Amino acid sequence: MNGSLECRDLTKSFGGLPILRGVSLRLEPGTVTVLAGENGAGKSTLLKIISGQLRPDSGEVLSGGEPLASGDVHAARGAGIGIVPQELAPIPDLSIYENLFVGREKRTRTGLLDRRGMIKAAHEMLTVFGIDLDPRTPMRRLSVGMTQLVEIVKNTSWGARVVLLDEPTSAISDREVDRLFTLIDQLRGRGVAIVYTTHKMAEIQAVADRVVVLRDGKLVADEPLSALSEHDIVQHMIGRELSELFPARPEPRAEVALRVAGVRREGAPPVDLEVRAGEIVGLAGLIGAGRTELLETLFGVRGRTGGEIEVAGRRLRPNRVTDAIAAGVALVPEDRKGAGLVLSMDVLDNGSLPHLKAFSVAGWLRPKARAGAVGEWGRTLGLRSRGLSQEVQTLSGGNQQKVVLGRWLSGDVKVLLLDEPTRGVDIGARSEIYRAITRLAESGLAVLMASSDMGEVIGLSHRLLVMRGGGVVAELDRRAMDAPDVQERIFRHAAGLNVA
Amino acid sequence: MNVAAPSTTGQNSPAQPPERRGPALGRAGEAVREWAIRNPMVLVMVLVILYFLYMSDRFGTVGNLQTIAIAAAPFALIALGQTLVILTGGIDLSVGSVIAASAMTAALVVKDHPERMWLAVLAAVLVGVAVGAVSGFAVSRLGVPPFVATLGMMTVASGLAYVLGNGAPINGLPPGYSAIANTKVFGIDLPVIIMILGFAIMIVLMSRTTYGLRVYAVGGNPLASRIAGLNVNRTLFSVYVISGGLAGLSGVILSSRVISAFPSLGAGYELDAIAAVVIGGASLMGGRGTVWGTILGLFLIQTLNNGLDLLIVPSYWQKVIKGVLIIAAVALDVWVVRRRSR
Repeated sequence: MNGSLECRDLTKSFGGLPILRGVSLRLEPGTVTVLAGENGAGKSTLLKIISGQLRPDSGEVLSGGEPLASGDVHAARGAGIGIVPQELAPIPDLSIYENLFVGREKRTRTGLLDRRGMIKAAHEMLTVFGIDLDPRTPMRRLSVGMTQLVEIVKNTSWGARVVLLDEPTSAISDREVDRLFTLIDQLRGRGVAIVYTTHKMAEIQAVADRVVVLRDGKLVADEPLSALSEHDIVQHMIGRELSELFPARPEPRAEVALRVAGVRREGAPPVDLEVRAGEIVGLAGLIGAGRTELLETLFGVRGRTGGEIEVAGRRLRPNRVTDAIAAGVALVPEDRKGAGLVLSMDVLDNGSLPHLKAFSVAGWLRPKARAGAVGEWGRTLGLRSRGLSQEVQTLSGGNQQKVVLGRWLSGDVKVLLLDEPTRGVDIGARSEIYRAITRLAESGLAVLMASSDMGEVIGLSHRLLVMRGGGVVAELDRRAMDAPDVQERIFRHAAGLNVA
Repeated sequence: MNVAAPSTTGQNSPAQPPERRGPALGRAGEAVREWAIRNPMVLVMVLVILYFLYMSDRFGTVGNLQTIAIAAAPFALIALGQTLVILTGGIDLSVGSVIAASAMTAALVVKDHPERMWLAVLAAVLVGVAVGAVSGFAVSRLGVPPFVATLGMMTVASGLAYVLGNGAPINGLPPGYSAIANTKVFGIDLPVIIMILGFAIMIVLMSRTTYGLRVYAVGGNPLASRIAGLNVNRTLFSVYVISGGLAGLSGVILSSRVISAFPSLGAGYELDAIAAVVIGGASLMGGRGTVWGTILGLFLIQTLNNGLDLLIVPSYWQKVIKGVLIIAAVALDVWVVRRRSR
């Protein structure tokens, strides 16, 4: 049996909606195949079929020329296929070694758990991959990135010959991405076939031997990395020419919409900042710099120990979300699924949640007013759904984000707080969201936007604040942002290094 | 668990041909089939009804339908309250004991003031509201898990029921009190009317008002609801209060029907109510479920109770059969949902 894995003509639909339309793919040992494509292109579905979690409607998966039983996780595992899903599933209260050996625990001759043996073996497994962690550390204490590495070790150490990584970098920091790439290199060196899904260009350039692009469930490109330019890949992914990603910035107005004076939180220096109406201010910084915490404090989800927050001259009481909303503050949170949407509800309900008062009389819902308002901003943002009664969990990431953003637009919003507005959003939807943000600023909203995407904060903002350790450590104006070395400067500020 | 449900209707005319056997099956169009696959519990219900119609001549009579409806009424009220609580991701174990405590309260009041019936009803509902308020406070403000909070209040309410009557039943309630459950309006028993009103109010509440939407939102994702500006604590608190109040009303109906209040009245009813909600397709994690589902689940259980009685299945075996059927019904539901998403 040779190591190759082959998919033949896989198709799959969900509820009548075709997700895969005949995908054939052959994976070679010792090769990193990047599976690129926008959200909703069918990447995750393909991986789930290969790993036996889903049954294809037609087509088959062959290992070494032999068809695998379709929709059978054990058969796939038996054929040496390991998957590290996008949503990690560690057992947080067990230690690293217990997680590594879950389901195949070592035992002593008496049948009891051989903890010492497992710890030793776990230590070796981690060391091979250059991970310096005590295997007895509880999983809970690891960062998302570390958890990811441990999950990869767990899914490959049993001798997997094919490793499927589904959006492995969607939630980890840049340093951890480097470690991930090192680990992937080691796996490649050992002859493992790796499939890596992403829509980020930098990652494709960094890890791919071969690039396969999926669009609308079809395989539209399959080339060695060297044969494709970045431009080619993007164009294959979105299927059209990507014009200017960032729209021109509108002129800010004179009046200050958001004034923050000496706002303090536990363990963070006081923060002062102002955002004028029509102005987009970016918040840059490393993960853990306190950007999310600052936005949550401004919105009243998080308490403060002092300081004043004024919105259009109106003071907000601390820890009062309703106060902030009444004053015209809106928050689009970082964690779209955890804090933004109620996944079990439909577009209409999610889209009207913050402004129920406006859509009701004495507690009675006004269906027409509700549907009208939601439909209106849905059209403005280019929301693509099968109608307002579609459950939001079946929307793509980009469309989900449009719901989280759009639902505020039917009210009188003066200050828009955005936290990672395009995380996990594909390029097509991203440009639409950028245009929407710019248009909102043009209409007089003050926008304060935290983002880890350097291109995004630089390309969209009028002004940039860099945060570190919970405080604002630098401010860059338009001129500084246009300088060629701006990314380097932002990074040095954010990391606390000397700025030249 | 069909505790002492005396048939108030003795008019089982034998001239009742079983004519309305499944008219829906005649037009088995594609749409109907599709719908049945999406609502497997309706199919289960139809099968159960067909089975009993086939097995028993008495099952399909008007009199028997009334019997089922009357027996369902007290369960219906607590199942409706339970639906709200489960939609928020909670559970209310206290309703069975609240029935006892409120029935004892009502009985004491009506013995002192036989002429002021409304006072007894009001007192009973207030007892339920008070118990629900304590549970709701513990859950929403103190962060006590709903299971624990309502388990505690279940014990408290049960204890109070014994205290109120010194451990003894309160019998000899005035005729005015027994009239509550045994009056007919336009030929329909008052408890049945109350039940139908309860259904109607709850259906409208959950689909047409901001309150209903808030309950779904808070149950589906409390954090997202908070960020959308909803008062999560107040919503959580309210569902326990409503559940308690409905249990209080249920206590009045039950004790009025048996013309007596005793501390073990309603014991175990919370389980049938929870079963009804779950059979109706609600998720115990919150956010998913409908009033219609609960109504279906409720009548599935009540139909089983009634049909097995008619077939003279011993009551101990009835429990075994009912338990197995509950699991089988929900397993079928899960299976269908899973098949659709594979």
